[in-house]
Formats: sequence, C-alpha cells, structure tokens
Amino acid sequence: MKSGVAAVEIVEKSGEFNATELIIGHVSNTSVDHPIIHLPHFFGVDLSVTKHVLMLWIVAVSVFGIITFFTRRYLRQDEPIPTGFMNAVEAVVTYIRDSIVLPNVGKKFVSTWTPLVLTFFFFILTSNAIGLIPMFDFLGVLDRFVLHTSSHSLVNQILHGGTTATANYNVTAALAVITFLAIIIAGTKAHGFFQHWKNLAPSGLAWPLYIILIPIEIMGMLVKPFALTMRLAANMTGGHIAILAILSFVFIFESLFESAAAGMAVGFFVSVPLAVGISALEIIVVLVQAYVFTLLTAVFIGMAINVHH
Amino acid sequence: MEVLHYFGAALGLGLIVIGAGLGIGRFAAAAAESIARQPSAADKITGAINLPLFLLEGVAILAEVFVLLIVLMK
Repeated sequence: MKSGVAAVEIVEKSGEFNATELIIGHVSNTSVDHPIIHLPHFFGVDLSVTKHVLMLWIVAVSVFGIITFFTRRYLRQDEPIPTGFMNAVEAVVTYIRDSIVLPNVGKKFVSTWTPLVLTFFFFILTSNAIGLIPMFDFLGVLDRFVLHTSSHSLVNQILHGGTTATANYNVTAALAVITFLAIIIAGTKAHGFFQHWKNLAPSGLAWPLYIILIPIEIMGMLVKPFALTMRLAANMTGGHIAILAILSFVFIFESLFESAAAGMAVGFFVSVPLAVGISALEIIVVLVQAYVFTLLTAVFIGMAINVHH
Repeated sequence: MEVLHYFGAALGLGLIVIGAGLGIGRFAAAAAESIARQPSAADKITGAINLPLFLLEGVAILAEVFVLLIVLMK
C-alpha cells in the first residue's frame, strides 16, 4: 500500500490529515487533467496514461512475456516433462480445464473455450496480485531519500501507480463485455444464430407467460455481466479501503490528542496488526475473485451451450 | 437532518452483514452436515456449494457499493 507516501504528501500540502481524501485519492483513478504520460487524442478518445492504465500495461506485458517465454521453452524441449515454473503453470491449466471448464461447458467445446477462460484467470490473478505488492512505494522511498527528483519528473509521476487495475469499474466492465460476447458466440456456435435467441426462454408454455418471461430473460442476460463487473471491482476496492481506513487511525488519533505518541501507540497495537490481518485476507480474496470470475464465465458459457429448459 | 444519509448508510450496512452472514452461515452448516453424512461426496458437495455462495457474495458486495455511493454522493 502506498498510504505512507500519500499521507505524508497530503499532510505536507494542507497541514491537516483528511482520511476521506486519502482513501478516495488512493482508490480512484488519476484525474484526466494530470495523467502520468500525456498522449494525443485519438478519434476523440483521450489516450493519456493514468495510473490504472499504467498498471494494466505492466500486467499485460508481464503476463504475456512470462507465459509465452516459459511455454515456448517448454515446447522446444525434447521430452514433454515440465520443469520449474512450467510445473505450476501446467497444474493451473489442467485444473481450470478439468474442473472448471469441462464440467460446465461439456466435452464438445472444451478446447474452444479453455483458452479464453485461462486468459481471464491469468490476467485477473496477476492484476489483482500486483495491487498487493508495494513496488512503487519502494521507488517512492528511494526517490525521497536518494534520487531527489523534481515533483514533475516521470519518476515522481509513476509513484501514483501501484494500485489494482481490476479495482477500476471500467477495466472489469471491459472484461465482462468480453464474457457477454463469448456467451452469445458460444450459443450461436452450438445452436445457430436464431436458435440461440430462442433458447433464452423455454418453449411450449402458455402465451401469456411469455409476456413476463421474455423481459425477465433479457434482463437476466444483461445482469450477468453487470454482476461480474461489480463483484470483481468492489472486492478489489473494498480491501484497499479497509486497510487504508485502519491505517488512517494512526493519523486521526495523532491529530485528536495532538501527540505523536498516541498515534504511534494506536498504530503499534491496533492499526498494524489489523492491517496485517486484512492483508492476509486480501491474499485469499485475490485468488478467490480470479477463480470466481473464471468459474462464472465458464458457467454462463455452459448455460448457453447446454440449454436446460 | 444533514447527517441522515450517514444514518441510512450505517443501517443498510448492518442489514447487509446480517443477511450475508445468515446466508453464508446456512451454506457452511449445510455443507458440513452433508459432508459428515457422506464423506465420500465431499468434492461434489463443495463444487455444488461454490456457485451459489459466490452469487450470494456478489449480491452483498453490490449492496455495499450502493451504501458507499449513498455516503459519497449524498
């Protein structure tokens, strides 16, 4: 967490600690007026790099690089026995194929949809996990005490990074849109275009029922990706808010009693132990949310392929 | 009257915790009971309980987001 650097900055700026400002500033994206890297408008879309975009790029490059490198090296081997890191990758890949995709999607379409679900899993897991690693805080400490760069240099701008990219609703909404399209494509591939839309509502009911049923089914179709969006983003944001709120107690008590000793005592006995506990919980949440997103994607795709009505 | 929305948000948060806690508690109790009755089916029971558990968690999280919106947007 970068609460330390951010808190010091805010206290230095206004002379007073404001917990809400700190938490919102940490969780929300950088303002578009002050992005990390300025880029020109492209078809009316501002392409400037904000902190979530920076994290997104780091995640995309590292996942693509690491997975491709190890898979290529494995494929070049003479004997098909994985070693080292490839062991872990293979365990995850077989687990997802055999116990997430296969039971839900069915034997016929496993190899069609496993790549998508695996991409989701690795991307979401990495981008969740990278938010827990305070890599830019280390850079911040280095900058404050060793490098002494100016406040507008690239190093100082990058320090605002180090958040979870999946805590941004726009990122998870984009992922959920991919799921939404995948559901439609899966149904179309399995049953044909018109049959897929007919499958949404069961056939052979009395006609008045369809007046209620068809709007409900259309709503259900749209609620699925919406719930995916909200679940992932809110879970990733929630942990950060909880940790920052607990760590803010240090500064709140310090200004309440106007003594640094009170703040340090609260920090030592309450804030830091609680924050450590919640960080441990966050590690579980990171894994579970990546698993949930992939599981639900597989389940929804399976629902479009194996219609139960 | 100015702080009334904080009151509503706090009340809502408490209700969410009651609801989600009851739901997850019943899930865990049912799972433990059925695994105790049939230990060989533990994998299947865990698999069947996973999906509705996550759906329940999604509803609770959604409610929490709206509570947060009440506080932030007023």
